[in-house]
Amino acid sequence: MLLRSMGVATIFLLGILNFTVLPSIAQQPAAGNKAVQITGLVGVKANTSGNLTLQDGNLQFASSGAKVSVPIHSVEDVVTENDSQRVFRGTLGTLTMFAPYGGGRFLSLFRSKIDTLTIQYRDTDGGLHGAIFTMPLGKADLFKKDLVSQGARTSIPVQDDSSNSNAKPGTAKEKKP
Amino acid sequence: MKRTLYVTTLAVLLLGSHATPARLYAQAAPPPAKKASAIQVLMITSDEVKLPAEFQISLYENLIQQLEKQGGFQHVYREGDRNADAASDLVVLHSTVRGFKKGSERARNVTTVSGKTSIDIHCQFTDKDGKSVLERDLNGKVQFFGGNLRATLDFAKKAAKLAHDNFAANSVS
Repeated sequence: MLLRSMGVATIFLLGILNFTVLPSIAQQPAAGNKAVQITGLVGVKANTSGNLTLQDGNLQFASSGAKVSVPIHSVEDVVTENDSQRVFRGTLGTLTMFAPYGGGRFLSLFRSKIDTLTIQYRDTDGGLHGAIFTMPLGKADLFKKDLVSQGARTSIPVQDDSSNSNAKPGTAKEKKP
Repeated sequence: MKRTLYVTTLAVLLLGSHATPARLYAQAAPPPAKKASAIQVLMITSDEVKLPAEFQISLYENLIQQLEKQGGFQHVYREGDRNADAASDLVVLHSTVRGFKKGSERARNVTTVSGKTSIDIHCQFTDKDGKSVLERDLNGKVQFFGGNLRATLDFAKKAAKLAHDNFAANSVS
């Protein structure tokens, strides 16, 4: 009886693990950074989420619909900053604005901090492009370091940039109401 | 003889008094805008005002997108594009930030009346030789809905309309 109960419990635990742990392992990106492309990349819609990686001398942004590569040597400037965004955004965020009794206003108080990564690069004709990405807090500086170490240029050296963002975050973040 | 001299002087004075305002009106009226088949957008500069990098890039990219969307130009070139050298009737758009106030999306959502983000930009259109053909101050702002970067889209729409109305080959005006 006891063995049977233990067997059932084991199967139950394995079932839970199957639904929780295993998918999270499978969903982990292969050494990439989850990022949202705000604007700038040719062929990618604004506010598209995807994976930002550095591969074979290219900066690659891969989303479900498109994959864009930018040669790292063509990147002329990389700048990181801090910002914040609404937790409830997009269509849901707009709908919450119509919630009764000021519910939308209350929900808009919930904001999450994010890093922004801005790059400037040249295309094959010499045309200047810019692209803006947002990524989880603390990821942009590390990504910039990797980018610069692989040949990208920056107007703000990596150490200064990170100390800058730590020293006076108020300049980059939104003012509190 | 005296009478002839008097009449001539009077006639000259009368002619002068009529001709002078006409010439003044002619000077006051804007010169006819030069139509162009191509436009080149230079990166937004901000010497006097500290503008965050994402705003600078967003202004530039939105400007190019809106100019392409409005139509009227065969080509919209980016800064540094070598193909622009071959275009004969090219106008170049220089944009300089003169004022910037970063508001707060949270304040806008909560209070509705505060937290406005606004950007004041001086736009100068020059021909290929660098001679100024049109100058205008434009403003981009976001007052109610949307993030702070939405102010850049507002500016881009106004600047694209200005360029289209004054220089596009198939514009109405």
